[in-house]
Amino acid sequence: MKLEWSVVWQYRWLLAEGVLVTIGLTIVTMAIAVPGGIILALMRLSKNRFLSGFSLCFVELFRNIPLILVVYWAFYVMPIFVGIELSAFATGITALALNVSAYNAETFRAGINSIRQGQVQAGLALGMSRFQVLREIVLPQAFRRIMPILASTWVSLFKDTSLVSVIAVGDLAHNALMVRSQTFRVLEMLTAMALIYWALGYPQAKLADWIRKKFEVKE
Amino acid sequence: MSSQVGQQIRGAGKKPILSYHNVMKRFGNFTALNGVSLDIYSGEVVCFIGPSGSGKSTMLRGTNALDPFDEGQVFLDGSPLPTSENEARHLRRRMGMVFQNFELFPHRTALENVMIGPVTVLGTSKDQAAKAALKLLDKVGLADKTQNYPANLSGGQQQRVAIARALAMEPELLLFDEPTSALDPETIGEVLNVMKTLADEGRTMIVVTHEMNFAKRVADWVVVFERGQVVEQGPPEQIFDDPHTERTRNFLSHLGWHG
Repeated sequence: MKLEWSVVWQYRWLLAEGVLVTIGLTIVTMAIAVPGGIILALMRLSKNRFLSGFSLCFVELFRNIPLILVVYWAFYVMPIFVGIELSAFATGITALALNVSAYNAETFRAGINSIRQGQVQAGLALGMSRFQVLREIVLPQAFRRIMPILASTWVSLFKDTSLVSVIAVGDLAHNALMVRSQTFRVLEMLTAMALIYWALGYPQAKLADWIRKKFEVKE
Repeated sequence: MSSQVGQQIRGAGKKPILSYHNVMKRFGNFTALNGVSLDIYSGEVVCFIGPSGSGKSTMLRGTNALDPFDEGQVFLDGSPLPTSENEARHLRRRMGMVFQNFELFPHRTALENVMIGPVTVLGTSKDQAAKAALKLLDKVGLADKTQNYPANLSGGQQQRVAIARALAMEPELLLFDEPTSALDPETIGEVLNVMKTLADEGRTMIVVTHEMNFAKRVADWVVVFERGQVVEQGPPEQIFDDPHTERTRNFLSHLGWHG
C-alpha cells in the first residue's frame, strides 16, 4: 500500500479550522458546565426537596446515558420536543454542557462535602451569612481540592468533543473524517487526527498535573 | 462563705451581660444540658470546668446560636437571644469564638485570616483591616508570621492567630472552647499567656477548659458542670481550695488536683 502523506498538508487549513472549533467547544462547554455544576451541587445540597430532587434527576439522567445519545437527542429531538432550534455548534455545546455539568455537579458536591463542618462554623461564628461562608470559605477550598478532577474532566472533554462530529459540527474529528471520505486516505487522515489530538491533549494533561501541585492545600 | 453569698458580692449593683435561665439542650436521647441557670458579668473571666460531655461546650455553642438551646431563656444585655438565623448573625458579631481545633482558613494567610471577618462582615476596607490585623498579630506575638499559611504554623501559633481573628471583630464577649486541648504541651503556655493578657485588659471571657491552673490563676468565677447541670459555682478560691460539694471534690481529685 502506498501512503500519501501530502494529503494532510494539502488540507492543513481545514484541519486547523477544526482544531480551533474543538478548542472552542471545550472552552465554551467548561465555561457553562463549571457554574452549571456549582448550581446543581448547591441545589442538591439545599434543604428544598424540589431543588435537590430536580438536581438529583438531572445528574443521574445525564451521567448515565451515553454522550453520543445526548448529542443525537439535542440535534433531532430538542428542536421538535422543546421547540429550540440551534446551530450545529450550539447544539453540540448544549449536549456537551448537559453531560459535563452533571459530572461537575458530583465533583463539586463531593468537594463541598469534604470541607469540615468546623470551617463553616468558624465562618458563621464571625457573623458571616451562609452565602458568605460558601463564597469565602467553602468554595475556594473545595475548588482547590477538586482542581485535579476538574482538570482531568477537561482533558476528557477535549477528546469527547469529537463526538459532536456526528452532527456535522466542523471540529477536528469532523473535518478530518470528511477529508478521509473525500480522498479515501483513511490511514493517513486517522493517523494525522490521532497525532493532532495527542499533541494538543498531552500538554493539557501536563498542565493539569501542574495545576494540581500549584493549588494543593495542606492542612 | 457560701456560693450564694459569693454571688451576691459578685453581682452587686450590676446587671449581668449574659443571663441563662433554665436552658436545656438535647441531642436525640442524650440530654446535654438539663436546666442550667447562670449569670455572667461584664469584665469577668468565667471558666467552665467539668468532665467531658458534661455540657460545657454545648453552653458556648448555644450562646452564639451555632447549636441553639432547645428550651429556657438567655438574655444578652437584658434582651432575649434571637432565634432566627438572620438575627443570630448579628448576635455572633458581638461574640468572638475560639475553637479547640483552631479552624483557621487554610487557604488564607495568617493576616488574611484575621482580616476576613471585618472585610466580609463589616465591609471594612482591605487597607484598614490589614492595619488592624497587623496590630492584632503583633499583640499575640506573631508579627513575623503574617504571611504564613496555617499549615506552616505550629498549633500554638495557629491558635494565637485564631484569637486575633476573633478579636478583629471587636467582640463584647469572647468564647473559648477548650482552646488548648488540641495543643502540644510545649505550646499551651503561649496561648494561655495571650489569654491572660486579654483577661488583664478586662475583657469578658467564657473559657471552657481543662487547665485547672489557668482557671485558678485567671478566672473571676468558676462553674463546675456535670451531666448537663451546674454542680457548683463560685470564685476560684472556693472551687479549688474549699469545694462545697462532693461532686466538685470528686472531679478535682480525678484530675489529681490537691489544691
